[in-house]
Amino acid sequence: MWPFIARSLEVATILLIAAIGELLNQRSGVINVGIEGLMLLGAAAGFITASTWGLIPAFIIGMIIGGLFGLIHAILSTSLKVNQVVSGMGIWLFAMGFVTYWADRYSGPLPRGVVSPRIYELSPMFFIALIIVVVIWFVLSKTHLGLKIKSVGENPFAAEVSGVKVIRTRYLCTVIGGMLAGLAGAFLSTTYLGAWSHLPTKGLGWIAFALVMFSLWRPMILLGGALTFGFIWQFAISPETIYAGIPAPLPILRMLPFIATIAVLVIISREKFRKKWALSKPEALGEPYIKE
Amino acid sequence: MISLEALKLKLERIPVVSGGQAVRISLLSLVFSFIIFSIFLSIEGANPIDAYTNIFSFAFDSKLGLPTTLHRGLFLLFSTLAFIIPYSARLWNVGMEGQFYLGTIGAFAVAYSLPTLHPALLIPLMLLSGALFGAGYGALAGYLRGKLNVNEVVGCLMLNNIAFWLVYLLTVGGPWAGIAESTSRPLPPNAHAPIIFYTPFTSYLAVGIAIVLYIFLSKSVLGYKIRVLGNSPTAAQHVGINAPRTYILVMTIGGAIAGLSGYHMWAGDPAFLMIPRPEAYKAIGDLTYWGLIIGLVCLLNPVAAIPTSVFIGSIMVGSTVLVRRLRLPFGLDVLFLGLVSITFAAFQFFYMYRIRRMK
Repeated sequence: MWPFIARSLEVATILLIAAIGELLNQRSGVINVGIEGLMLLGAAAGFITASTWGLIPAFIIGMIIGGLFGLIHAILSTSLKVNQVVSGMGIWLFAMGFVTYWADRYSGPLPRGVVSPRIYELSPMFFIALIIVVVIWFVLSKTHLGLKIKSVGENPFAAEVSGVKVIRTRYLCTVIGGMLAGLAGAFLSTTYLGAWSHLPTKGLGWIAFALVMFSLWRPMILLGGALTFGFIWQFAISPETIYAGIPAPLPILRMLPFIATIAVLVIISREKFRKKWALSKPEALGEPYIKE
Repeated sequence: MISLEALKLKLERIPVVSGGQAVRISLLSLVFSFIIFSIFLSIEGANPIDAYTNIFSFAFDSKLGLPTTLHRGLFLLFSTLAFIIPYSARLWNVGMEGQFYLGTIGAFAVAYSLPTLHPALLIPLMLLSGALFGAGYGALAGYLRGKLNVNEVVGCLMLNNIAFWLVYLLTVGGPWAGIAESTSRPLPPNAHAPIIFYTPFTSYLAVGIAIVLYIFLSKSVLGYKIRVLGNSPTAAQHVGINAPRTYILVMTIGGAIAGLSGYHMWAGDPAFLMIPRPEAYKAIGDLTYWGLIIGLVCLLNPVAAIPTSVFIGSIMVGSTVLVRRLRLPFGLDVLFLGLVSITFAAFQFFYMYRIRRMK
């Protein structure tokens, strides 16, 4: 039972790191639908680095490449005012091609000796992810910087008038979001999977993206969502550890996380639900900031 | 941060980009991506000019790549049209992948259950069933968006992943499993599509749908309503356009078109006539997202999408020679496509702005 829980906590780690980054950049008003692509890039960079240099450099390189493509998204969507969905999709499509070219030649497990340290079978990265969430929660809700970020996401024009550098804030959040997605990818390929196979994210990035919507842009709800979906995802992969006699065939189980996502989205998209929580999405989400 | 002021440049908003400008911007963007890809080719030790000559001479040679170019290109046209209609109402249909899988299921279900039916009846039935399955799946996404207010990008992506596993369920060890590992049974001979001038008849169907949609969007009342809703939901509300119903309608039309591509892809190409193994049908499913790029590059003009789709198809088919003929590393062909798509996305900038030198 415990190995299963440890594995599902590791899936939750991937979701949590990627989603908290996306939450941050959405709070500043930038939506990045290319998160699955950023994870792929981070996963490939991390995997290749880990083969020769070990895990810590792998995470750093994964973050750097994620941040780099976060920066490209920021340039496209913030400075050049390209539609954010188009820019994100472009990055995702590019990542699928580039990662296939770059990493598929290394398909197979990591070399012996590159094994993540584990505390009772759980990667310490889980705790790092928790720390990241707490830090981002703290910054967003308790600091002056957090107030600036939220004001840029709610009403960039008012923010600019009150002296907040809108463009700079959006760049900062989008790059950090990209770095975290890259880190999540590197953790996926080097620690959770420990091997490379063709396009390994398999929709996890999209679930992370959806988690941000469920969370109503609140880090602590996000944490709960990531834990739940980590469990569902891992259950779909190895249901026998919970109950050996599960009659459903594998493909049905693999649909579960996606069906569950739709179900939750339906529930939280109700007007009544939103009003009850007295908050909804950042007002200027997805809108380019155009100074007149 | 890019500071244009420091470079003595300023942005000038273009109110409406004309067709001619769009063509110029797209060509410029292609040139740009070709230059970037040349760097990768050089790194791999290939001569870029030589490589590009090989790519396009293969893609348009009627004895070599042309049939596949047309087939894949018009497959992209189905995806593009499936994107254009919902996007005219400013709805992001990124569910073409799932609608394509469902269309595949719909078409193959008919063929497997009525294998002895006369082709003149069986083939139209397969098309109809594919379109209905795709339409149903599109309608589901439209219902989630229109009635339940679920973001259509996330909703569609979830449905795509579900559909992927649905096909998996049927083919890998499922009721449709063939003798070969992980693929479906071959289609019955009665379901084989006629080939007209190098390409299955469904290619002409795609072109026909493009023309009909062009007229529908620009001339019909319903098309006008869809465009009003897309341009201004508030205005649409004032003139009494039912937004949820229209959202469901456009997604249903989009889904039906994407569903047809399920037949076109697997039953139209004599190289398949079955559903291949999951990695292979997923690789084609991933191509459907090109519909979004092509649709935007063509300014949502269904007729302009015809040549553009075929051209992108020629890159897809032609670039396979890099690996097969020039012995370059695996994946270089998909990298090329990735570069073209990200440059197209970046060059969307020029659809909105002009850079002017400051006086």
